[in-house]
Amino acid sequence: MPRVQRRVDVAWEGNLARGSGELSAQTGAFHGLPFSLASRVAQAEGKTSPEELLAAAHAGCWTMSLAGELTGAGTPPERLTVAATTTLDEVEGAGHRIVASDIHARARVPGIDRAEFERAVEAADAGCPFSALIRASATVSVDAELEEAGV
Amino acid sequence: MATDRRAEATWRGSLMEGEGTIERVGSGAFGPLGVSWPARAESSGGKTSPEELIAAAHATCFAMALSNGLAQAGHAPEQLDVSATVTFQPGTGITRSALTVSGQVSGMEEAAFREAAEGAKENCPVSQALRGNVELSLDARLTS
Repeated sequence: MPRVQRRVDVAWEGNLARGSGELSAQTGAFHGLPFSLASRVAQAEGKTSPEELLAAAHAGCWTMSLAGELTGAGTPPERLTVAATTTLDEVEGAGHRIVASDIHARARVPGIDRAEFERAVEAADAGCPFSALIRASATVSVDAELEEAGV
Repeated sequence: MATDRRAEATWRGSLMEGEGTIERVGSGAFGPLGVSWPARAESSGGKTSPEELIAAAHATCFAMALSNGLAQAGHAPEQLDVSATVTFQPGTGITRSALTVSGQVSGMEEAAFREAAEGAKENCPVSQALRGNVELSLDARLTS
């Protein structure tokens, strides 16, 4: 398969403490989103941050990976809901680091049993490109539950 | 102090024919945004993707780290224009993030600017999270 590139542009004005920036995606999916240091490390106040964008990337990547595993097993999902929480922390001697990205998933999958579901979840995490790369420096935890049919 | 940021995504159906949504993020800054496998692996059709969101995270993180480095060197920037381009090779993974920056920084030498930019590329938290798995590159120049 051909490689795919995605580009984002950012304009930043001023110093770190009082400056601010805006980001826009070349695809047009988002445009002019504001960000700043204060909103990154304290209250978000409607502004996004690198960690929130990583959480969105992880949630999106992980849902697709699980959808792929379930589809491959002959049990495509009716609905998957995935929340990702990314943690930035100060690490002694290393400054600020992204230390964790935690996945909480709920799945409605007709015709699957618990063991098959657990196998798919394990394979989805192993096969999610984002989980693979962030695991080099952060912990990834996965908590997945299968919703009962008809619920 | 640790800071948590959260995002939620949903998916319906098979990987190839199904569709997903980045439903919401904790800040409320964006969403819902549609995602799909064809939009991720082929032409975007205006949809975002995990790789685009990683590019957004890297560009924003690098811009903040560089503004800090420049201010510490006594040259807070007037403006930094940053881009990040992330490469996804289906079947292999996320292989590359290429940063570019052009800066308007009064009274600074080109070499010192490049050095500060290199430091931001090495040390910003997103670079630290990507390194080892993802090739990082940087093209830095001053525009004034």
